[in-house]
Amino acid sequence: MAPLLEIRDLHASVGDTPILKGINLTINAGEIHAIMGPNGSGKSTMSYVLAGRDGYEVTGGDILMNGVSMLEMESDERALAGMFLAFQYPVELPGVGGMSFLRAAVNARRIEAGEDEIDQLEFVKLVRAKAKHLSINDDMLKRAVNVGFSGGEKKRYEILQMALLKPVFSVLDETDSGLDVDALKIVSDGVNFLRDPARSMLVITHYQRLLNHIVPDYVHILAGGKIRRTGGKELALEVEESGYVGIDDAA
Amino acid sequence: MSASTMQPNLDHLAGLTGVRAGALTRWQETGWPHSRVEQWRFTRLTSVEKMDLRPASAAAAVGTAAISAELPENAVVLSFSNGVLDVAGIAALSDGVTASFLSENDTALAALAASVPASHPISDLSLAVMTSGLHLEIAGKVDMPIILAFTGDDNGVSSHPVVSIKLADGASAVLAEWHQSAVGLSAPLMAIEVGNKARLDYAKVQHDSAQSAHLAATGLTLGEGSVFEGFQISVGGQLARLETHITLLGENADCTLSAIYLGRASQHHDITTNMNHAKGHCLSNQIIRGVLDDSARGVFQGKVHVAPDAQKTDGQQMSRALLLSRKAEADAKPELEIYADDVLCAHGATVGELDETQLFYLTSRGIDRDTARGMLISAFLDDAIDSISHPALADMLRPVTTAWMTASNRSETGDK
Ligand SMILES: Nc1ncnc2c1ncn2[C@@H]1O[C@H](COP(=O)(O)OP(=O)(O)O)[C@@H](O)[C@H]1O
Ligand SMILES: [Mg+2]
Repeated sequence: MAPLLEIRDLHASVGDTPILKGINLTINAGEIHAIMGPNGSGKSTMSYVLAGRDGYEVTGGDILMNGVSMLEMESDERALAGMFLAFQYPVELPGVGGMSFLRAAVNARRIEAGEDEIDQLEFVKLVRAKAKHLSINDDMLKRAVNVGFSGGEKKRYEILQMALLKPVFSVLDETDSGLDVDALKIVSDGVNFLRDPARSMLVITHYQRLLNHIVPDYVHILAGGKIRRTGGKELALEVEESGYVGIDDAA
Repeated sequence: MSASTMQPNLDHLAGLTGVRAGALTRWQETGWPHSRVEQWRFTRLTSVEKMDLRPASAAAAVGTAAISAELPENAVVLSFSNGVLDVAGIAALSDGVTASFLSENDTALAALAASVPASHPISDLSLAVMTSGLHLEIAGKVDMPIILAFTGDDNGVSSHPVVSIKLADGASAVLAEWHQSAVGLSAPLMAIEVGNKARLDYAKVQHDSAQSAHLAATGLTLGEGSVFEGFQISVGGQLARLETHITLLGENADCTLSAIYLGRASQHHDITTNMNHAKGHCLSNQIIRGVLDDSARGVFQGKVHVAPDAQKTDGQQMSRALLLSRKAEADAKPELEIYADDVLCAHGATVGELDETQLFYLTSRGIDRDTARGMLISAFLDDAIDSISHPALADMLRPVTTAWMTASNRSETGDK
């Protein structure tokens, strides 16, 4: 059986600048992989390339989900195929009501699966139930998407979307940054709740502390657009202590 | 240009007297404005001048065509077909409304001539031709929305309906103009007088056919302590200009005039307003939103004039245009002319595109690109639509923008 996600010698550029310079990564169903690395090493770029953002051009290699290449798929098609990106900087959508946004996303997935659109009342109940676990109140749900949310609220709202869309493969880009200890616990519990033998995640983080809550199967160190080291969860502790000094050259 | 070759052909108007004769003389002297005239710099009328038009006459009027509006249940509809009023509708007006014909009401005609934009091509031409002239006087509180429906099927005619509406002191009314006509040129002339402490909720929808020209002139006066809440949508026509001149005649008047224009193909929409604060302590607010696709063009010209003794004036104006294609173009010309020193006035104009980051956020959730664009365009327009507080008018206007967006998605043709 093909791995759930396979990245083969991936090269990508933003504008004329090459950022990813040959990434290889295999993620099997049920696994959680963590990516750590210094600022500017290409972590967010990799998350955008996976999600299919315009302007992030793949110049070589391939991305396969369940053995199928995703390179020709638009971002919405990738999402419908089970891909999800929790943004490092969630985007504010003034004037776009939160509930209608969530419903449009859920319905897109249901229509793709050949199901009917979700019943309005049933949907409100579903969202409220999931929101409660993430300490998201009704007032936040009523607002425009991400507008007037604090940094921590935005991150929890990303996990709410993840919980509603039940993706097969999720990329969490620095979902822990800017969270206090309580919020970190709420977010991690939310993510762990979605852990499942059929789903995989790629957790991008700067800090080892997140990995105490979301315990990864593998840790990779990304530097200069390449994966320089791979190890178990103890590798996270090691880089936290000694930093990324020398990792670039180690490759 | 001599009178006989000027469009439309007005040879039949030789015997006019009074204010209409004066208007005819001015029209024959000046004719269509040259593009060097500052107020018409962005909107050229060459295509209208070239049309071979004759003014609609009573004989040309055909039966009442249907309009696609979602009308309020208790509305009374007064229909103009090819510019000619179907007088049968007048019987349905409620007690507070008195109707008469401008051709038989010299006082109302003189008042109208005084309040519409002066020496303006449409004021002069439509006043002279006046395919139908209706005068409504409103007293007391009239709940029944009055809908003026303009239809037409003869692209060889120009239609010149002239309507004057007078709200007595303390009166209130709900009024809508719905234009869905296929005549060559629609040139409605409106004069609205809102009395002291009166209130008018008003909407106009310009939904003419794709080949038509629509040149509207509206004059409004607001009395002391009165409220006017107006909204215009320009979505139809090949060339459209909705020009509104407002004078705040008494203190503490509260005036909202918002507008949306939606253009595609090679449409040209022009929203021109002239907000004249003659007295102090008045409020005026204008929210303008435009969305332009293909090679459509949008123009907003908004002048706010504050007279020397109009202290404590609050005049706000904000225009934003959204371009959906590289060939679309928007021009904004806000003008503040302030002669009082204790005022709060602000204006702004922006032109932008849909935000790629916002689009990506939506599509990354599985929402297709067309739907995502529609969500962002709706969000952009809702700012303006939310300023309509009358529920029946809001219900009439919302479907117009929704229908436009649905059609926009259908005509979507890849990269522009
Ligand atoms: N839109 C962009 N245009 C040009 N360069 C970019 C853009 N986005 C990121 N980069 C560059 O790509 C590199 C990687 O950035 P990023 O992926 O955001 O790193 P990380 O998430 O690991 O901090 C950086 O050098 C950054 O300056
Ligand atoms: Mg980053």
